[in-house]
Amino acid sequence: MSNTYYEFFCPVKVIAGKAALEHIPYELSGLAAKRPMIVTDKGVRAAGLLDPVIAACEESGLEIVTIYDDVPPDSSTTVVRDIAGVYRKEKCDSIIAIGGGSAIDTGKAVNILVSEGGNDIAKYTGAGVLKRPLKPFLVVPTTAGTGSEVTSIAVITDEKKGVKLPFTSSYLLPNAAVIDPRMTLTLPPHITAATAMDAMTHAVESFTCMAKNPLSDAYAAAAIKKVSRSLLQVMDNSKDSDARLELAQASTMAGIAFSNSMVGLVHSLGHATGAICHLPHGLCMSLFLPYVLEYNLETIREPLGELLLHLEGPEIYAATPASRRAEASISALRKLRDALYKRCQLPRTLKETGKVTEDQLDQIAEMALDDGSIMFNPKEVTLKDARAVLQRAWA
Amino acid sequence: MLAKRIQPLASQAKRLYVELMFQVMGRALQAVSEVDSEVQKEAQALPEGFLFEMMVMPDGSKLIVEYIGDGRFHYHGDSAPRPVDVSIKFKHLTHAFLVLSFQEKTSVAFANDRMLVDGDVSYAVRMTRVLNRLESFILPRIVAERAVKEYPADLHLPEKLISAAQIYLKIATHFVQTVRA
Repeated sequence: MSNTYYEFFCPVKVIAGKAALEHIPYELSGLAAKRPMIVTDKGVRAAGLLDPVIAACEESGLEIVTIYDDVPPDSSTTVVRDIAGVYRKEKCDSIIAIGGGSAIDTGKAVNILVSEGGNDIAKYTGAGVLKRPLKPFLVVPTTAGTGSEVTSIAVITDEKKGVKLPFTSSYLLPNAAVIDPRMTLTLPPHITAATAMDAMTHAVESFTCMAKNPLSDAYAAAAIKKVSRSLLQVMDNSKDSDARLELAQASTMAGIAFSNSMVGLVHSLGHATGAICHLPHGLCMSLFLPYVLEYNLETIREPLGELLLHLEGPEIYAATPASRRAEASISALRKLRDALYKRCQLPRTLKETGKVTEDQLDQIAEMALDDGSIMFNPKEVTLKDARAVLQRAWA
Repeated sequence: MLAKRIQPLASQAKRLYVELMFQVMGRALQAVSEVDSEVQKEAQALPEGFLFEMMVMPDGSKLIVEYIGDGRFHYHGDSAPRPVDVSIKFKHLTHAFLVLSFQEKTSVAFANDRMLVDGDVSYAVRMTRVLNRLESFILPRIVAERAVKEYPADLHLPEKLISAAQIYLKIATHFVQTVRA
């Protein structure tokens, strides 16, 4: 399964650890930026997460010129146009996106408009449209899961046409990702669990799907180890800032891994379930991960077996016969899901979510088959196969 | 010295081979959509008038097919009547040659970043399934297994032979018609 050719690219400076936020003024000054705009959502502001960022900037004499805090969970072309308008009106020269996937994607899209000009973000949809670097852009993630701070893609909804517009370019990558444990300390347990399982899935799929490569493998393996060791610690003590930092780093590492090796059927099913049943992405990942690994098992036995070392540690790895390690890795993930269910009732089956009906499974399977990530699944997937995996995940 | 002399010839041979394969595949796509109900079912999800292109960057060989409704494709040769909806672009002639000479599976070529998709990815995924189905029909199993991710378990020899014969006959007829025209 090893790849005879691969590409790997991640130019994002990662600034991680205690007092990381206090590096923001220095980083912006290094990019000749003096008038930053913050792009975020109301939840982030209400949780008081902007305060340490603003304080860090003010202490260095850097004024945050304006704050847009109304990014919705599914950002739209109108929101992007409005924010670009504020940016221009206030004569800003840089963007700091603070939040989860939506705020970060919005920041990326706004950066296209304010750098390239115009008000119609749809003009820039697709791959390779951007040909030059954009304005200085920093990202401060407040969830530990999406990895958006290190991916070169943004998805924005065109509400008039009712479609999601993808934007892909290495120029969308921020100049720096600032990972500070203070930003995830207040994350509620069920979001902590779902987003960490999102990171886990990014890493596991990255390690087992078709575009795996030695560099993404290294990031994926390290991310799996960090999530396995730290997630339950955080669930038991939400103020454990060391374990929070481990999860945040794992998310970034898994993001670097999957943006260079892509993901597979878990994401195809998850995207379709999210679109049809409006379930959060991280929850979908957690729901489908073991069932998809079982489906792919004979194609990925070797890499999945290797992951046991990172999931369960050296003792269990050494005590498990090589021929049983792949199954043991799936068991370890099931065990983790059970522990999360016990702590925050994170659903383990579609039925447990209470938001999916069995008659939706055919529609989900059909939509999943057209998802781009299915191309990278190591095993071919037919409609019947996808339906069978969904049935296993049902109850 | 000899290698230097041979290189342009090898490059020209690759170019001609890729061009020929595109011509065969384009005609075969039209033919398989007239023969196979699975391909027709896949095609029916596409909008009528949908134009699909496969090409070699920056301006090399290409094949263009149009979905004309009722599950059928129409091969347009290498020129599109209007801007295409989805284009699968090989980054280099060598990458196209690797795939079209069955040294690299289409799925592996995607994983290896040999190709770019320009347009709606979900349609590109659908067209890749159609191409896989086509290759499973028209290639001997041993070669098809090198081209597709997984050879379809439900494709048995009698069905394959009958369909392949029909497709090849239609390709040959189309070639003759093109020459006559």
